[in-house]
Amino acid sequence: MRKVAWVAWIIYIFGILYFVLPLFGTFIFSLQKSRGVLSLSAYQSAFADPKFLETFLFSNVMAVCTIIVSLLLVVPTAYWVQLRVPSWRPAVEFVTLLPFVIPAIVLVFGLIKTFGRPVTIFGVPVFPALTTSALSTDFLLVMAYVVLSLPYMYRAVDNGLRAMDVRVLTEAAQSLGAGWGTILWRIIIPNLRSALLSGALLTFAIVVGELTIATFLARPAFGPYLALLGNHKAYEPAALTIISFALTWLAMGLIDLVTRGSKRGPLTGAH
Amino acid sequence: MAFLELTNVRKVFPNAQTPAVEDFNLNVNAGEFVSFLGPSGCGKTTTLRMIAGFETATSGSIVMDGRDITPIRPNQRNIGMVFQSYALFPNMNVADNIGFGLKVGGKSKPEIKERVGEMLALIKLEELGNRYPYQLSGGQQQRVALARAIAIRPQLLLLDEPLSALDAKIRLSLRNEIRSIQRQLGITTVYVTHDQEEALSLSDRVVVMNRGLIEQVGPPFEIYNFPTTEFVASFVGTLNLLKVKVIDPATGAIQVDGQTFFTGRPLVNHAAGETAQIALRPGIVQSRQHGARR
Repeated sequence: MRKVAWVAWIIYIFGILYFVLPLFGTFIFSLQKSRGVLSLSAYQSAFADPKFLETFLFSNVMAVCTIIVSLLLVVPTAYWVQLRVPSWRPAVEFVTLLPFVIPAIVLVFGLIKTFGRPVTIFGVPVFPALTTSALSTDFLLVMAYVVLSLPYMYRAVDNGLRAMDVRVLTEAAQSLGAGWGTILWRIIIPNLRSALLSGALLTFAIVVGELTIATFLARPAFGPYLALLGNHKAYEPAALTIISFALTWLAMGLIDLVTRGSKRGPLTGAH
Repeated sequence: MAFLELTNVRKVFPNAQTPAVEDFNLNVNAGEFVSFLGPSGCGKTTTLRMIAGFETATSGSIVMDGRDITPIRPNQRNIGMVFQSYALFPNMNVADNIGFGLKVGGKSKPEIKERVGEMLALIKLEELGNRYPYQLSGGQQQRVALARAIAIRPQLLLLDEPLSALDAKIRLSLRNEIRSIQRQLGITTVYVTHDQEEALSLSDRVVVMNRGLIEQVGPPFEIYNFPTTEFVASFVGTLNLLKVKVIDPATGAIQVDGQTFFTGRPLVNHAAGETAQIALRPGIVQSRQHGARR
């Protein structure tokens, strides 16, 4: 028993070092812009660039849009699969895992090739090229991000749904007179809160740092900005990395606070 | 006219070899407490779910209060349902759970509050309105589920093995509570169970089912003492099955191992000299010194 505890502790400490050391190194490096002293001048110069705030805000807006579209798509789908067509689950799961198999570069070229010109079905024009205006390209970008976040979002929601007895809760609500909207809004979503939050957080993290799709759709996102900065500056990218880590942790802390602070009890099933 | 009429109800699940329910005919009177009793897979829960609207009958009709409810969606039927797994909404406290159906039904806040208070008093949990389901014991949760189902003043109450997840002691006390609440409110009730003791002690009438078919319908006394099929005889209570020779159907005389006995009532559908089977409850056998006549 003792020995097992020891081994567990060693693995735990090793794991922490594995994650923390590179981050710590980056952090120290980011403080060394001024020769010989530790200073925050890399942070000052990173913040001084107006492009930083601009791209960061842009990516945040994209992330929020992605989360909204993704939730609207995934929650009803996962719910319906679980409730009515559980036999489809393997197929749906396979589809949601496709972004792991298809590289982002393939996805973005497919999007550009398909939507970069007017879309027609049997020669009938359906809608014009989407890459011609900033707004329509942003729409394309959000859709691509929804695809990228699918594995994480679907898995989070599906796990949340499996933790409760979806069928019985649905039937109980139905017998009390509730329609589909009420069931989803008043029963399913409130019980999925922590699953939705974790799915949203993962999506946020993916979108804010995403490089490939934003680059090839030529939108001023945070990922391409970081990459560009890394090409001709040394200390500022390190500073920005630390900042984005800090923001992610802040988001996680907030989620923890929100979930723990509520007096609503555990987010498990009905048993 | 009966309050609930099931006529020729049949249910075949897709890809199933045999129907889950077949030839189901039953009339339930207003205020009556009817149990569906049978082993698992006998179709009792499927039948209940068809009444609730969660399953659609392949054929046949279900009429409630003179209205065919087969095409009506479950949330429009005004039927209260209690589930084996309680199915309380984990995100709502006891009071909100009980008030859910009223809120969905568009009742005013004071009205909901009053009704919830009434319900809490009915299940004797007045103090626990602010608790969450996970803070309650299984028995308390099931009482809340019962209150939630009754709060909407349903025309019909359905209970699907409501006591199966509880331990023996709670099961007994909640059983009596369910019966007394049902009597008090006079609500027509259909109760599904695989526990013969529950069915026999609670019900006005018991429907014994096996393999999707009704074996016998009758009051508990009749089901227990005068089973019409071998399945009912063996499923309800313990008994011994004996091969006998019918001597005189009119007087109920039979012969076992050369000894003549009287069944105490005439044997319909049997001719003299025919071989038949009798079921003997162990509790009914008494030994007497002289001329044992039973």
